[in-house]
Amino acid sequence: MDLKPSPRLTAINQPFLRGCNRDELWLQRCVQPACRKFVFYPRVCCPHCGAGALTWEQATGRGQIVSFSRVFRPQHESFFPEAPYYFIAVRLDEGPLFFSRLDRQGLPVETNLIGRQVRAVFVQHTPEQRLPLFELS
Amino acid sequence: MATGGYEGVVIAGVGQTRYEKRTEKTVQHLLWEALDAALSSAGFPMRRVDGLAVTAFVLPPDNVTVVAEHFGLEPRWLSQGAYGGASGVIGMLHGARAIQAGDAEVVACLTADVFDVASHMDLMDRFNSSVRDYLGPYGFGGPNGIYALHTRLYMDRYGATREDFGKQVISQRQNALLNPNALFKTPLTMEEYLNARPIADPLRLYDCVLPCSGGDCVILAREDLVASQSGRRVRILGGGEIHNFPVEDVFSLRGGWERFRDRMYEQAGLGPSDMEFVQLYDDYPVMEFVQLESLGFCPPGGAAEFLRKRDTTVGGDFPINTGGGQLSAGQAGASGGMIGVVEAVLQLRGEAGARQLRARRGMVSGYGMVAYGRGLSCSAAILAQEA
Repeated sequence: MDLKPSPRLTAINQPFLRGCNRDELWLQRCVQPACRKFVFYPRVCCPHCGAGALTWEQATGRGQIVSFSRVFRPQHESFFPEAPYYFIAVRLDEGPLFFSRLDRQGLPVETNLIGRQVRAVFVQHTPEQRLPLFELS
Repeated sequence: MATGGYEGVVIAGVGQTRYEKRTEKTVQHLLWEALDAALSSAGFPMRRVDGLAVTAFVLPPDNVTVVAEHFGLEPRWLSQGAYGGASGVIGMLHGARAIQAGDAEVVACLTADVFDVASHMDLMDRFNSSVRDYLGPYGFGGPNGIYALHTRLYMDRYGATREDFGKQVISQRQNALLNPNALFKTPLTMEEYLNARPIADPLRLYDCVLPCSGGDCVILAREDLVASQSGRRVRILGGGEIHNFPVEDVFSLRGGWERFRDRMYEQAGLGPSDMEFVQLYDDYPVMEFVQLESLGFCPPGGAAEFLRKRDTTVGGDFPINTGGGQLSAGQAGASGGMIGVVEAVLQLRGEAGARQLRARRGMVSGYGMVAYGRGLSCSAAILAQEA
């Protein structure tokens, strides 16, 4: 079985990926007093105001499901044994959008998950990397 | 203020290869076949091409410059589309600007790809760094997963139903039955549509395009190089593009087309009600709905209601994707962004065979470059027969 596709570690996303390995969700945040917005995915500049300086802050790991889909046909073979699973878009409490999966199955098929509160749970993604999935709170 | 139009430029030729589920041919071969067919249609020899706009996802490590070498061309203007399925329309618009500026006289706008389901999924898993690093590792399901989220949200917010999407998919299948180059050859019933294999719910099999192989091309030329005779010259009356709109909201369900549509209509001196057909970018039915709304045919959230009252088949009152579109003809990678241009030009030249409309003008739109949760690039153009 192939390993799951893994994010490439770069100078920009290192604090996020290292945080995941400590079961912590870290986000970038703009230092401009007039902006102060949180940023994800990791960038070289603030996409809200264009300023260059971003710091890192630990996030709560809490958010709300914006939309969801049960994926029957994953894009990569390594996910086939888990299908169907819920692919979700989460609006984190800090503001950014985060795409992930629900870690639990077995929900009634007609369940509407839009607006449901979730929290991050970290799982071993590859031997080197842990990543956040989400569970319903 | 409206920017200048596309005066002085004509679409002089059009070509399309055979669409196939599998091929032994290389992408360079399909690019050449589409170019050769379009040059024959335009009546230009290969050596007359001095501008080339190419988009093909599987072209790397080659690029448009190496394509020029391969074909023995000596172009003075080159462009390679980085806008996914918006590239076909954008290549045509940029090529027209190059001709207006005097940077080229005859521009070939060319797309092709060699795809099947497996290679398509492989490409999409590493399409760009935001997909590769922040979607692929979470099992996003490829574009199907992304547009499942948009479809779910659209249905939840606006009350559209699976049947609403099905009606449009089935109408396009009917159109495809009149297109000998479409890969789907049999009608689709609502029951088959609703009960097809689930892919990423609410999307099922017939909401998703069939990745395939093929190539498409149109030839642009300075108008004085092309004899003015019936059916030979198609004009670009207006056009536009926008990228990463709206910046702050991936799930706005608003399409970028609304950002430039007024300027485009003003360039053309026409409005939505003047369009006699629309060739929409149909990677997923929900995006056709968003395009109809963003291009001003109906209000936001109003596409389902709009389509319930209309017949979008070739014989209907509002023909959409008259060759079957990508959903029923097939999506040959980057050619998915050109299939609508080719279909519009065939219709306006009177060369659409059994599916020929009586139409003097229509619209074509493009959409693409899936990144962090949505396609980043939107494009559209209004094309017309020469008066």
